[in-house]
Amino acid sequence: MSGNAEGEVSIRTEADIVAARRAVREVVVALGFGITDVTRIVTASSELARNVFKYGGGGVMRWRRVESNGRRGVELQFIDHGPGISDVGLALQQGYSTAKGLGLGLPAAKRLMDELDIHSVIGEGTTVTSKKWCAS
Amino acid sequence: MSDNTISVIRVRDTLMVTVPSDPDDSTVSDLQDRVLQAMERHDAKGVVLDISSVETLDSFFAQTVSETARMVTLMGGRTIIVGMRPAVAVTATQIGVTLGDIETALTVERALDLTAAKPALKRVPRKSP
Repeated sequence: MSGNAEGEVSIRTEADIVAARRAVREVVVALGFGITDVTRIVTASSELARNVFKYGGGGVMRWRRVESNGRRGVELQFIDHGPGISDVGLALQQGYSTAKGLGLGLPAAKRLMDELDIHSVIGEGTTVTSKKWCAS
Repeated sequence: MSDNTISVIRVRDTLMVTVPSDPDDSTVSDLQDRVLQAMERHDAKGVVLDISSVETLDSFFAQTVSETARMVTLMGGRTIIVGMRPAVAVTATQIGVTLGDIETALTVERALDLTAAKPALKRVPRKSP
């Protein structure tokens, strides 16, 4: 699987959060990320996959290898068709949460990844797209 | 990897809790119940939580651990976390995970020394200079 340039993991059950973490770990280790960055990316994936499962009613995680200016990296996309986020800016603030969560998931993922964008439409769902670049 | 269960064993007056490398959310939630039940059953003085295998400590996991430790304190015990990997410590710090007042130790041996040396509820107050 890690030999591929892209792939996806369906997130329907709690066990799929673990599956998403493992898939991401395999991909980023193969890409040559160091152990600390691997841990950061996998931790961010865990937060975002849990959001998809808990608040988005399930969905999918898509990953792909990316390259820019000679740098290698990974792009992770978490897509759900849940209720959507009414105030994305607020959701990114530490401590904010609507659904009995911790209010840590999104802000944590943003800190751990190099880029993170949220596209959310009320009643249609949320897509979180994030990237991390290899240091060397 | 196939062994994904939490083990709770009693060593002298202390509970040794070992967490697998990649537990799912129910396994993590289960940790809280099992620790609290074992505290009561064994009349334990403390909990040593070995997370040396853990590769991902996300906010849910951290929250559960910190909640469990608060409950153990209410039951008169103390919690010591052992063996956090460097990459996990870096990541946890970066996302603002706080484990409250939980004590930490680098090895299980040191943690057991701590629980043996200073039972809970008998903390020596810090001397003012």
